[in-house]
Amino acid sequence: MNQERRAQWLRGVLDLCVLALLSRGESYGYELSQALRAHGLGAVQGGTLYPVLLRLQRSGLLTAHWREGGTGPARKYYRISPAGSAALRAAAVDWSAFASSVGTILREEPKR
Amino acid sequence: MSRTLVVAEAALRELLRRRTVLVILLLMPLAFYLSRRGDHLGQSIRFVCLGLAWALSTAALFAGSAARGIEPRLRLSGYGSRHLVLGRLLALWTVGVLLSTPYFLLVLADQRDVRYGAIALIMALTVFVSVPFGLLLSAVLPRELEGTLVLLTVVGLQMVMNPAGSATRALPFWFSRELATYAVDHTDGGYLTRGLIHGLVFGVALTVLVVAAAAVRLRQRRHLRLAI
Amino acid sequence: MNHEPWLAALTGELRRHGVGPDLTGHVVAEAATHLLDSGESPLRVFGAPETYARAVVDSLGGPDVRPPRRQPGPVRLAARGITKRYRGRTVLDRVDLTVRAGQIAAVVGANGAGKSTFLRICAGLLSPDAGTVEVHGTLGYCPQDGGTAEFLSADEHFVLIGAGRGLGRAEARRTGRAEASGLAWTPPRRTQARHLSGGTRQKLNLVLARLGEPDVLLLDEPYQGFDRGTYLDFWHEVWRWRDAGKAVVVVTHLLNQLDRVDVVLDLSGERAA
Repeated sequence: MNQERRAQWLRGVLDLCVLALLSRGESYGYELSQALRAHGLGAVQGGTLYPVLLRLQRSGLLTAHWREGGTGPARKYYRISPAGSAALRAAAVDWSAFASSVGTILREEPKR
Repeated sequence: MSRTLVVAEAALRELLRRRTVLVILLLMPLAFYLSRRGDHLGQSIRFVCLGLAWALSTAALFAGSAARGIEPRLRLSGYGSRHLVLGRLLALWTVGVLLSTPYFLLVLADQRDVRYGAIALIMALTVFVSVPFGLLLSAVLPRELEGTLVLLTVVGLQMVMNPAGSATRALPFWFSRELATYAVDHTDGGYLTRGLIHGLVFGVALTVLVVAAAAVRLRQRRHLRLAI
Repeated sequence: MNHEPWLAALTGELRRHGVGPDLTGHVVAEAATHLLDSGESPLRVFGAPETYARAVVDSLGGPDVRPPRRQPGPVRLAARGITKRYRGRTVLDRVDLTVRAGQIAAVVGANGAGKSTFLRICAGLLSPDAGTVEVHGTLGYCPQDGGTAEFLSADEHFVLIGAGRGLGRAEARRTGRAEASGLAWTPPRRTQARHLSGGTRQKLNLVLARLGEPDVLLLDEPYQGFDRGTYLDFWHEVWRWRDAGKAVVVVTHLLNQLDRVDVVLDLSGERAA
């Protein structure tokens, strides 16, 4: 896939993807970047991911707390807030509508 | 007093860090001394004292010029002009004593049949006079080159002019030749008295002038009113 | 792999961008953990410290969350009718300036407009042809250049200037070093001023002006030779002094900070009048 285009698309939906991943359980930055990669979104670098997490946290869609790991260092864990869940539900509906519109346009047979 | 000592300490550190200058200062009187070593017994003593006078005045001249940049700021930071000028005088006098001690020891070891006490007196007066003399030149002539030329003229005249003529008494280091005559040629006490008075008068007068010049230059300006 | 230099640079950049110490600590710690987990180079994961700091600041919704400006206090500096002529040319023509405690005044104007002359008159280093200056409190002055002793180290400068202000040796050194850290500078122990770079010497100059916390600070383009980061540090310090109730006068030819000052004295039109 064209890297630049994917980065462009991702910029619009990265916050939604993060919210969706966190709606399944709390997580931290590095784990989130691994999960995004596993879902086929490629390498989302920390320089992109953390500012998004920070913005979501500042706007109250995520809560965060520091916790000592069993083996590793202390990590900042993020958890979705009720406001975040609501925002995610609304955005998910919007996204489906948007994606299906794009899909419809792309699938239409050219007229002769 | 403690402020004066802090200024003196800083000035002394600055002087001692100019290693090359110090070495040249230390060797200059030696060159004078050796140049007349083979002549008449007392001539080398006269010359080493003039060499010291020259070296110390030059050091004071340059130290005074170098301090011009920071002195206004020190004045603003709570120092009085007397702290600044007395501190610098103290530092330079200390350097003068350090510089002339080896020469006194040299004379002590190298010369026979002279009045050593009188020679110590010449050196002490030379230190006393040349420091404010150099500082005064730096206060009057802002550019070091001009000051150096004046110094060159004064010390040169001191060497070539007939010490018996009355005009030479106007030169700051006349006492040196008068006292040297007393020390070397064992002349009567009149030489000692004249030399001592001349040196003291010049030393005191030059010191007063230096303090006054600093007070004027670093005065509190009339347009500025400070209300603490 | 040692990430410390990058993390330290990030800390500095965040602070320069006005991010508070708590949040800075969190952001840096989180980045450190990520680097430990991923084992990749910080430049690859986060980019340059300055770029990442800016991204963090952008996600906060704007830089520099400053406390609301307080009411200015009593008059600290009042210059009235300052006139100065050089060889028949009028450089300053009846210039007035009043600065109160907790205010920053910027003196602006083209080269030769008399900015430095005006400041030197305010500091009492130069007499005007007419006019008076009233200062309520102690004065600190930072000249454009000079003002330091070539053969003395930074610590020796602190002791020398500090003694004038009534500070003991140890106290002067401690205060000087604390002020220096505000400009992200750790003065070397032995280096003499003549061996410092131009920008570093200006830092020394600025710290010296601040020793003893004078009530009125007169700064004559003190940032010459500063890199961009130090320049931002400088303005943060100036704001901090303002917030501490000092009256600050800064000569500047850079206009992009003027929205952050309280009083502007423009000397550009002086000679045309």
